[in-house]
This record gives sequence, structure tokens and C-alpha cells, in this order.
Amino acid sequence: MTVSKSFRWSDFRSLSAMAALLVLGLPGQVHSAEGVMGTLQMHGFLSQALVITDDNNFFGPSEDGGSFKFTEIGANVSLRPHQDVLLAAQVLSRRAGGDGEDATLKLDYGLIDYQMLSTQQRTFGIQVGRIKNPFGFYNQTRDVAFTRPSILLPQSIYFDRTRSLGLAGDGLNLYHEERLKTGVLRLQAGFGKARIEDDADRALGLDRFPGSLEPNTSAITQARYEHDGGRIIMALSTASVNAEYDSPPGMPGDGTFHFKPWVVSFQYNQEFWSLTAEYAIRKLELEGFNAFADSERNGESWYVQYTRRFLDDWQGLVRYDSLVNDRSDRSGKEFEASTGGAIPAHTQFADDITLGLQWTPHPRVMLASEYHHVDGTGWLPIQDNPDPAKTERYWNMLLFQLSLRF
Amino acid sequence: MLRLSLLALTALMLLTDLVLAEIPEVAREEQILLVANPNVDTHQLNRDTTRAIFAMRQRTWPSGQAVRVFVLGNNHPVHARFAKEQLSVYPHQLQLAWDRMVFSGTGQAPDRVRNQAEMRERVANTPGAIGYLEREYLDDSVQVISME
Repeated sequence: MTVSKSFRWSDFRSLSAMAALLVLGLPGQVHSAEGVMGTLQMHGFLSQALVITDDNNFFGPSEDGGSFKFTEIGANVSLRPHQDVLLAAQVLSRRAGGDGEDATLKLDYGLIDYQMLSTQQRTFGIQVGRIKNPFGFYNQTRDVAFTRPSILLPQSIYFDRTRSLGLAGDGLNLYHEERLKTGVLRLQAGFGKARIEDDADRALGLDRFPGSLEPNTSAITQARYEHDGGRIIMALSTASVNAEYDSPPGMPGDGTFHFKPWVVSFQYNQEFWSLTAEYAIRKLELEGFNAFADSERNGESWYVQYTRRFLDDWQGLVRYDSLVNDRSDRSGKEFEASTGGAIPAHTQFADDITLGLQWTPHPRVMLASEYHHVDGTGWLPIQDNPDPAKTERYWNMLLFQLSLRF
Repeated sequence: MLRLSLLALTALMLLTDLVLAEIPEVAREEQILLVANPNVDTHQLNRDTTRAIFAMRQRTWPSGQAVRVFVLGNNHPVHARFAKEQLSVYPHQLQLAWDRMVFSGTGQAPDRVRNQAEMRERVANTPGAIGYLEREYLDDSVQVISME
């Protein structure tokens, strides 16, 4: 397998001049203009999936003959204008059900990374800009098929309903890597404003009001330990995401929203197989609204996943993935009763057995397919299934995906 | 029932792997050495630093000079041996590490070369370059970096 090819532009003189200006203040040797442009890299990816379900809709009308409305397209550029500085930006167009409008190009990340310390013992640096959140094993590159073990990441943790909240933050991030005798410890801490889009309003049931959620300062940290060259990897991630609801006069009233998830991650790697498990607790609080009482809910998610590499370019996957929206009401029965039976209990959990296969016939091409047998609709997208009473508790899903990259 | 058989299947695959993992590596081929451009003034690296450089997490030599990393294709036997023997990582882990860096904006991809002759030429002609070569491909155009 080769790494994506980088395109080198040698005669972008104006760009080099800008880059040179940018690093004028930094000590040390500045690359010659040609040296800087020699570090320019561009990469991109495109994934198209077909989703077929027997009941319930996932990412478009999958129940009626299948949905092609799962498309991910991205392109990025990076440059090293100075030996300690990295500039990087990526745009992303993603459609997962919904209408074509969702596929508008968005800035996925855009940052300046200054690695101010770099010795045999440790590295330390700071990133400023729009930064992908280091949450669990997969969040930072969750939209790039080549970095996923399966077409869909374990939905209990990487679900779509409040995706914008966890995706990236606008602010700064500090990172530190310390090399210990037995392995490597990596710490990250980020501060900034979360990206909050319509999905969060929808998941909280606030989309029926004309107000909107506005992000407040949020924080995210991750500690990660890689033992013996990454044979064993352990990580602990936590975030505190805060937002204020700006209400129109009257209903539902101004309120605040706190989201505090914790994720414990574990992976064991061998040459031909990996065992991965993650466990998450998600605490969600709504306070101060006059249309409904303050609420606190603790959701719980976990999965265990086994991947097996064979015949050079194939990978098989078996996974069990489980989610409950409220730990104190695992069956969802209390919830159903509280709605007078209008919303079924199975909307409050989801247990998913997944079997998957990936084939990479060429380093730039990947074909994948997978089968899901799901009990519950806990992470089923709301926009694809507006009426929860019409969803089925037991359902099956088959996915096919073609991915390309450069 | 389905769940039970899945569980049994997984357990079986795991066991097979554990047994297979015990078989020692066969046939030691020619030694692979860490090489650098002659202008690099670091002559010794420890394994963790070397791994961080090849994983693209560390972008400068300990002296502060910018690093340019050159690697062979994932399926090249010398790449696989270098990764496993010198860095103690599997090629698939390195590839995933690069993809995660490149698509999260936290790093860049290494430069890919087709064979060891090209590796020697690019390392010899790129300031700050690091790579690896089997002993028979060594000459005066590159310097050998010793690994602790």
C-alpha cells in the first residue's frame, strides 16, 4: 500500500511570500521558497454508499429499495512554512440522508500548529483555529472511510444525532507527547466554541421553536497511552460542551444546555488482528427552560470489535455495539409510559450486531460491505424517521460503499 | 442463537491467532539501517524518537532541523521489516497513523519511494531527510544514524 500521492507546486510565488511573512517572527532557519513549496501536500477522498434496510430509514429512503444518500467528499491542503510550523485546512461535503442542501461545502478544520518543543524525550505544541476534537479512537477522522474499520462507526458512540457538537471546536489545543520507558503518553487539552448546528436542536426537541442554541466556551481533554509501540493503546477522553438557548419571547424560555461525555478506549494490536473496545457515559442536562422541567439524563454506550486482516488487502470485522439513552431506564418502558404510550420504548436503546468486510485492491480504492442486525432505534436518525411510533424495534441493514482517495 | 455462534466464532479466531503468534519469525535477512542526509547533525536517535518521526508526529530532528521522511510501499518487504524490527510497529498501524494525521490536520504524509535505489537518491539530495536501507544499498552519499 502506498500513501496518498502529494502534489507539489513549485511556482506559487505569491503563496510562498505569504507563508514567509507569516513565519517572519519565528526564530531559526526559514526554508527557502522552494523548500517551503516542497512541503505542500494535497489529499482528498470520496465515498459513496448504498444503504438498504428492511424496516426503518437510515440516511435516506433506505426502506424503499435502498438509498444512495450517503456521500462524503473532502479535500485538504497542508504546508510547513517553517520547521516548527504546520498549516492545514480541509473542506468537507457530507450528505447522510436529508436533502442536497446538507452537502454544502464546510470548513472541516483549519489550523496553525506550532510545535515549539521537540526533543528525544518529548514534543509539545499548540494548535489554533478550527480543530477536530480528539474524542475516543475515531472522532477526528470520522468522515474519512479509509480511517474507519467499517462503513458506519459504532453508532452507540459515534452517532449522528448530535454530531456537530462533538465534531470540531473553534479555539486552541495544546498537545504533549512524553516518551516513557514502557511506552508513550500523549495529552491534549482544547478550549473553544463547539460547532452547533441544527442537529442538536432537533435531537433536543427544540426545533419546533424558532429560537436557536448558541455555543458557549467548551473544553475537551484526552490522555492516551501507547504501550510497546502501540501493541496496547488506552485512552480516556472527556469533554464539557456548553450552549445557551436563545428563546423568542415566551416559549420555551431561555435555557442552558450541558453535555459531558466520558469515553474509555482500549485496543490490542497484533499483526493480523486487533481487538478494540470503548465505553462511554454521556451526561446531558437542560436547565432553566420554562416550557419543561430541568432534566438530567445519563446515556451509556459501549462496543467490542474484532478486526482480522487476511490475504494482504482484506479485512473482516465482527462487532457488538450497545446504547441506552438513560441508564436509569434501560428498557425505555418508563419513557414510553411518560409519553402516554405515544413514543415506543425501543426508541431509547439500540443493540447492534455487525459483520463487515473491506477490500483494498489498490491503495487508493476501497470497497466495503456490512450487515447490521439491530434491536432498538436509539441512534436511528430522527430526520429519516420523523414519527417514532412508526418505527420497528427489530430491523436489518445492509450497506455497500466505494471509497477513493488521492 | 445468532449471537452465541458469533461469539463462538470470534473466540475461535482469537485462539487461532494466539497460537500462531507463538511461532518465531523465520529467516533473518540482511540488516536494515537508518539513514539520513549528510547535512543532518544528529547521529544517534532512540527508538521512541525514531518511531515518532516515522509516525509523522515529530517534525524536527532533536537539533531543530526540519525532517523529511521517506518510506517504501507498505507491501515492500523491507518496509514491513523496518517497521516491525526497528520501530516495533506493524505497517498497518503506521498507515492508519498517517491517514489519521493527514485527514485531521495534525500532520503530513511521508514521501513515498518505489525502491531502495530511489530511497538512497532522495535521502542523499533532500536536506533533513531520513529513510532506511539494507546494508548492500549503502554508499557515501548518505550517513547511517545509529539507533539506541
